Amino acid sequence: MTGRERRIGVYVCHCGGNISDHVDIDQVVAAAQAETGVVVARQMMFACSDSGQGDMERDIKEQHLDGLVVASCSPKLHVVTFRGVAKRAGLNPYEYTQVNVREQASWIHSDDEQSTTDKAISLVKAGIARTRLSEPLEPLVVETTQKTLVVGGGVAGLRAAIGLADIGLGVFLVERAAELGGWVGRFDEMYPTGKNGRALIASLITEVRRRPAISVFTGAELVSKSGSFGNYRVGIRIGGSTPETLSVEVGSIIVATGFETYQPEVGEFGYGIEGVVTLPEFKEAIDHSSGPLMYHGTPVRNVVYVYCVGSRQSADTPAANAYCSRYCCAATVAASVQLASRDAQVHQYHLYRDMRTYGKFELMYTESRKLGSVYLKFADDAPPAVARDDSGRLVVTVRDLLTGGEELAIAADLVVLVTGMIPRKNEELVSVLKLPLGTDGFFNEIHPKLRPVETVVDGVYIAGTCQGPRNSSESVASGLAAVTQSAVILKKGFAELDPLVAVVDADACTACGLCLDACPYGAIEMTLGEGKSVAIISETGCKGCGGCVPVCPDNAIDLRGYTDAQISAMIDSLLEVPVA
Amino acid sequence: MTDYDVLVVGAGIGGMESALKLGDMGYRVLLVEKEASVGGKMILLSKVFPTLDCASCISTPKMAASIHHPNVTTLTYSEVGGITRGSAGRFQAKVTRKARFVNETTCTGCQLCETACTVAVPDQFNADMIQRRAAYIAFPQAVPKKAVIERAGSSPCSYTCPAGIQAHGYVSLIRSGEYEKAFQLVLDATPLVGTLGRACYAPCELECTRGSIEGPLPIRRLKRFIADIHYDKFDGPGIEIPEPNGHKVAIVGTGPAGLTAAWQLARKGYGVKMFEAAPKAGGFLRLAIPAYRLPSEIVEQDIANVTALGVEIATSAPVQDLDSLHEEGYEAVLLATGTPLSTKLGVPGDELDGVLSGVAFLRAVKLGEGIDLADQRVVVIGGGNVAMDTARTARRLGAREVTVVYRRTRSEMPAHHVEADDTEKEGVRFVFQAAPVAVLDDGRGATRGLRCSRMAPAKAGASGRSRPEPVPGSEFEIACEVIIGAIGMAPDTDGFSAQVRTNPNGTLAVDPETLQSGSAWLFAAGDVVSGASDITRATGQGQRAAHMIDRWIRGLQLDGFDLRLPVVDKDQVLARQKAYRLAVPLDPSEVLSAAPTDFREVELPMTEAEAHRGAGLCLDCGVCSECGECVDACPVDDCIDLRARDQVLDVEVGAVVVATGFKLFAADLKPEYGYGTFKNVISGTQMDRLLAPTRPFNTILRPGDGKVPERIAYVLCTGSRDETVGNPLCSRFCCMYSIKQNQLIMGALPIADVTVHYMDIRAPGKRYDEFYEQAKAMGANYVKGRVARITEKENGDLVLRYEDIEHGGGLVEAEYDLVVLAVGVQPNSDAQALFPEGDLAVDEFRYVAETDEDANPGQTSIPGVYVAGAASGAKDIADSILHAGSTVAQVAAYLEHAKVPA
Repeated sequence: MTGRERRIGVYVCHCGGNISDHVDIDQVVAAAQAETGVVVARQMMFACSDSGQGDMERDIKEQHLDGLVVASCSPKLHVVTFRGVAKRAGLNPYEYTQVNVREQASWIHSDDEQSTTDKAISLVKAGIARTRLSEPLEPLVVETTQKTLVVGGGVAGLRAAIGLADIGLGVFLVERAAELGGWVGRFDEMYPTGKNGRALIASLITEVRRRPAISVFTGAELVSKSGSFGNYRVGIRIGGSTPETLSVEVGSIIVATGFETYQPEVGEFGYGIEGVVTLPEFKEAIDHSSGPLMYHGTPVRNVVYVYCVGSRQSADTPAANAYCSRYCCAATVAASVQLASRDAQVHQYHLYRDMRTYGKFELMYTESRKLGSVYLKFADDAPPAVARDDSGRLVVTVRDLLTGGEELAIAADLVVLVTGMIPRKNEELVSVLKLPLGTDGFFNEIHPKLRPVETVVDGVYIAGTCQGPRNSSESVASGLAAVTQSAVILKKGFAELDPLVAVVDADACTACGLCLDACPYGAIEMTLGEGKSVAIISETGCKGCGGCVPVCPDNAIDLRGYTDAQISAMIDSLLEVPVA
Repeated sequence: MTDYDVLVVGAGIGGMESALKLGDMGYRVLLVEKEASVGGKMILLSKVFPTLDCASCISTPKMAASIHHPNVTTLTYSEVGGITRGSAGRFQAKVTRKARFVNETTCTGCQLCETACTVAVPDQFNADMIQRRAAYIAFPQAVPKKAVIERAGSSPCSYTCPAGIQAHGYVSLIRSGEYEKAFQLVLDATPLVGTLGRACYAPCELECTRGSIEGPLPIRRLKRFIADIHYDKFDGPGIEIPEPNGHKVAIVGTGPAGLTAAWQLARKGYGVKMFEAAPKAGGFLRLAIPAYRLPSEIVEQDIANVTALGVEIATSAPVQDLDSLHEEGYEAVLLATGTPLSTKLGVPGDELDGVLSGVAFLRAVKLGEGIDLADQRVVVIGGGNVAMDTARTARRLGAREVTVVYRRTRSEMPAHHVEADDTEKEGVRFVFQAAPVAVLDDGRGATRGLRCSRMAPAKAGASGRSRPEPVPGSEFEIACEVIIGAIGMAPDTDGFSAQVRTNPNGTLAVDPETLQSGSAWLFAAGDVVSGASDITRATGQGQRAAHMIDRWIRGLQLDGFDLRLPVVDKDQVLARQKAYRLAVPLDPSEVLSAAPTDFREVELPMTEAEAHRGAGLCLDCGVCSECGECVDACPVDDCIDLRARDQVLDVEVGAVVVATGFKLFAADLKPEYGYGTFKNVISGTQMDRLLAPTRPFNTILRPGDGKVPERIAYVLCTGSRDETVGNPLCSRFCCMYSIKQNQLIMGALPIADVTVHYMDIRAPGKRYDEFYEQAKAMGANYVKGRVARITEKENGDLVLRYEDIEHGGGLVEAEYDLVVLAVGVQPNSDAQALFPEGDLAVDEFRYVAETDEDANPGQTSIPGVYVAGAASGAKDIADSILHAGSTVAQVAAYLEHAKVPA
C-alpha cells in the first residue's frame, strides 16, 4: 500500500500518573519517534489540558502536520476534545487517531511495567499505522426538525414539554394513561416544600394547554421510530375505540416514562397480613384522610416503618435490587411528620439501616424526631420480622443497634413497608428506541457527569425516574436538563454527524442482501441502481458499527475512517512487535 | 458597556456547564471566575464517584471549551458586583478584572516567573499542604494557563519606607541568598545603601507585622549586611554606566536628598553636577552623624556610587546665583541644602565661651578640628537625635560628665528610643522635665554652669502637644564647662529668596507633590523644604525630585511617583499565615561601653546565618515582595507589570446565572478533633489532594512526619448534621467522597486499614450504594457512631474516642496513624454580594433560595436571575451538572420570552 508522505505528530499522555505510573512514557515516545511518517513525538502531563492542547496546535501549525495520534485515554472521553484541537489548528479532524493506553494498558496491567509499556507501544504503533492511511473527511450536515417528542406525561415530561415550547420548539407529548400527571398527580403534600402534588400537576397541565406548540396525546404510545438523528419519524398509536397511528417528524425524543413501585412478595416482611401496607399505599391513605389515621375503622395508634424493602438487597436475594431507592427515606420521614402534625397521639417507629435524608432533608428527619418518631437501626443481616402473635396482634420484632442490640417487639396497628422504585416494564419502548438498560434495569445515560441525559442513541434523551430513583423536583430538573440538551442540537437548525459510515462499492455489490440483515439500525436498503440492484447505506442512519463489512462476500463495503486497508495495517503493526 | 445575553458567575462545574450549554444554544455568554483558573473545586479532586473517572479527565474538556467556545467569553481572576436591573428588564453589572500583573495575552505559561519568585505562601490549590509562589500558575491543568502575581497590597515595611525602598523585596532576596540582587534593589531607590543600613531609624521595623509577635525583623541591619557584602566585592554600584541623554541638571547640596536625586537622574542618563558649600560632600551624613554610628568610609562608598555614574561634585563651592547656573545650561536646578543652621538657646549667657550648637560641634568633630573635652563637664540641651549624637560624641572626646537636659519626659523624646537607650548605656545622665534659664558666667567670659528650671506639662495647645511650663521656684544649677544646644535646626535660604518664595521658618515654599518652585526649572527637596527631618525622609524627597525633574524635562505631566498599592491589613496577614510561630529575637549585637573612648562602629555586622534567620522570619505581608525577580526572569518583554491595577468593566446582560458554589467547613471549628493542631489530622480535601494525579508528594503520607500511614480513620459528618457548629444540614457528598477515597487508598496502600466512623452512610444515587458495597468488599471497615474526641500521642499517632454502637455501645479508644475529617459544605456568601444588599433572597442557612423548587428548580427571588449547582445547597457533581442543565432551560425560556414584547 503506497500512501502519501506523512507528517504525523504523536502525543503520549501521562494522565498525571494514571498512565505514567505503569507505562514508561519515554520508551513509548522513543518508539513512536522511530515510526515512519512521525515527525514529532512528545509526552504531556495532561494532553487534554489547555496547555497540552495548545502545544499540539502549535506543532500542527509549525510542523505542518497532516496526521495526529494522541495516546491517552478512551476515545469516549476525549475524541471530541482532540478533534477540536485538529480543527482549530487547521488539520482535518479525521486525520487524528485516538490510542487508548489507559483503559487498555496502564489501568488493567498494573503489575508489570515493561509488558504494559510494550503493549502501549504496540497500540501506539497501530494507531500510527491507521493514521498513515487516513483521509480527510467532512462531517455530514443534516438539517434538524425543530420538534421534540416527549414520552411520558408525569411531572418530568410535563415540565419538559413546557420548557421545550418556551424556547421555541414544537412538542408532541405522549402519555400512555388516559390522564396526564403520573405519580405526582396522585400526591397531596410533597416534601420538602409541602407543595400539593395534584395542584402542581394541575398547574403544569394548564401551562401545557396554554401553549399551542404542544400537542398532547393521552392513551397513546410510541410504536415506531425510523430515520436518523435530527430527523426521526415516529409512530404514535392513539388508543380509544378506533385506534389510529399518527406519524410525525421530530428532531429529538425525551423519554420520561417514570417508575413502578416495588411490590413485595406475599410474606416478605409480613406483606399480605392485614395491617401491612407499602409506602405508596400508606401515602395514599394519609393523603386521603384528615385527623388521626384510621385503618379498617380503628384509629392507628402505633405505626412501624420498615425501611429498604426491595432496595439495597443483598446479592443472595433472587433478582436482587442492589441499588438504594434514594427517595424513600425522605418520603417516609416526611409522611411521618405529616401524620404526627395532625395526630399528637400517634406513636411511630422507624426501623432503618442508614437514614438517607440527604442535604436539606435532614431537617425533616430532625423534625420527625422532635415530633416523637423513634428510630431504630437494624443490621443489614438481621432484618426485622413482621407477624401476628398468638393473640392476633401485629408485632414487629427487631434487634436495635442503637440500644446495644436489644431485641424489641413492637406492637403495631399498621406496618408500613418502605418500598422503593423499580424500573417500569417498557419492553416495546425499549425495542423501538433501542434504549440501553443499566444493571439496575433503569435506562442508562452515557456518562453521569459528561452526558447525564443522553443515551447511546443520538437524539434520544432520558429524564426523571425512568433513569433511576429520584424525587419530584429532581425529576423536574432532569426533565429540564433534557430540554437543554434538545435545544443544544435543535436550536441551530442543523446537526453535524460523524462521516465514519459504511459505503458500498456499487460495482462490486451483488445484491446478495446479507448486509441488510447484519445492520442493527436498518440503515441499508436494496435499491435498483444502473440496471441492477445494489445495497445503499443511509449516511445518516449508519452508526459506523462496521457490522456489515465482514459479512459482505464480495468485499464491496468499506467503513470510512476504518477502511480494510487501515485495519489490516493496524493488525500488521500489532503483529510486528514480538509479544513477550 | 459590553453586552451579553447571559452572565454566569463562577466557573466551577455548575458554572461551566451552564455557560457551555447556553453557548451551544447560541446565546452569548460572559463567564466570570474569581480564581486564576476555571475549574472550581472539581478539577482539584482525585477521582470522582461512583465511576472512578479521574476528575481532570471530566473537567479539562469543559475547562478548555470555556475559553475556546465561540459564544462564551471567560474572564478569570475577576469578580462581579453591583448587579442591578436596568432598562428594559436587562441587568447592569460591574466586573472587576483584578490585576494579574501579567499580560494575559502575551504570557506563554512558561512558569519562569514562578521559578524565580522569592515568596512562598500556602497553596490553596493543594489545600494548604504545600506552598506555592506569589507568582504562580494555579495548577498544571489551569485554564487559561497564564501566570498571576498575587499582590494582597503593599507590605507595611515597603509601604512605610520614606525612601521608597522595597524593604520586603530585599528581605525576600536575602532569604533566597541573592545578596547582590538585594543590594541592587535598594540601589533602585537610593545610592545610600550602606548609610541607610546603619543610620536609618527604620520606620519599616516599627510597622513590621512580626512586631506583634516576638518583634520586628532586623530590616535595617539586613540592608547593612548586603551593603557590606557588596562593598567587599565592588567599588561603586556594580552597574553599567548609562548612555548620556544630553540633558544637564545642577544640584545644590550633597546631603541624602541631593545625592539620591543625582543618582536617579544619572541613571537615566542626565549629566549631573553637584555643588557643595562644605569642603566635603555628604551633608549631614559626612558632617553630623558620628562615625560610631556611620563611619565616613561607608558614606564615601555610597557617594562613590553616584560619582561612578559620572556625577561631578564640586566641594567648597557655595552657589550664590541660581539664575546664572540655569543660564549655564543646566535645564533644571535642584536645591537640597538641608538645615545647616542651629537654633540659639535664647537664654542669658548663650554667647559665652563654652556654649556651642550641636550641629557645629558635630561638624567640627567630623572635620577633625581636634576638639578635646578631656575632664570637662558637658551639658547637652535637647531630646532629639542630634542631642544624642552630641552627648555620645562628647563622651568619646573625654568629657568626664555628660548631662542631657530635656524639657519633657523620656517617653516624649523625639530621639529614636534605641539611640536614647544607647546614650544612657554610654554613661550619659538625663535630666528630664528641665529647661535652661541662664548660662552661668565664670567671671572670665566662659561657662561655669547652667541654671535650669523644672518644667511641668501644661494643657495641650493648639498643636496637640502640651507645651511645658516652668515650675515657679524650682530652679537649680548644673555645674559644667561646656553647653551644647541641640534644640533645633533651620535652613539657610536667604540667598535663594529672589527665585523661590520662603516660608516664615525659612524653608522653601514649593509644591509638596512636584517639589517645583514658582520658577519652573527650579526644584527643591529634603530638609530645606520640610524642615529638619531625617536622612531617610530626605532620601525619599531626593527620589521624588529626580522623578519630577525628569518628567518636567521630558515635557510630561508631573505625576506618577507614588505607585504603592494600599497597605495590607496586618490581621489578615496573621490569619493567612497560620504556620508562623514565636521566634527568638536576634541579638542586636552592639558593643557599648559605659565610657567609650573611640569612634569605632558600635554595631557589629550580622553573620550570614543571622541574616538568613532574620530574613526567614518574614511573613510576606503583601504576598508579592516586589523583589522584581519575575520581571527579570520573564522572557517576554513588558509581560509582567507590577504597576498594573484592577480594571472595572460595565456589562449589560439579559439574564444572570449564579454558580458561586460552596465553601468547605473549616475543620478547626471542631477543636475536639484537633485539626490545625495535630498534624496528622487532615481534611477530606487534603486527602483528595494526596490522592490526585497532581498530588503534592506523589504518595499518600501523613504530614506530621512523612510516614506512609497504615491505619487510617475517617470521621464523617465533621461540621455537618451538627447543631454545635450551627449546621444541622447534611452535606450530601461527604459519605460518597470518603467511600471513594477509601477505595483509592486501599488501591494505593494495599496493607493499609481503613476505618470509617459514620452516623449514616448516605449513598442515595445511581450506583452509589453499589459503590459503598464495593468499598466494604474491598475491606474498608464502617463503624457506626460519632467520634467524641481525638488526642495525639507523642509519636504523632492519634487516639479516637468513640461509642461503638454496633458492638454493644461501649466507649472505645482506637489508635490510628492518620485521621481524615470528612468536612462538609458551608454556604458561599459571594452569591449575595453580587447584588445590592437584600436583593437576592437566601434560605435560613444562607444558601441562595430557590423560590419554586417543585416546578422551577434554579429560579431565584429575582426574575431573570437563576442559580446553578451548589450555591443553592449541597450537591454532588452529577446533581450540580443536572441542576445546571435545568437552569439553562429556564434561562433560555426567559431570554426567548424577553424577546417577545409583552
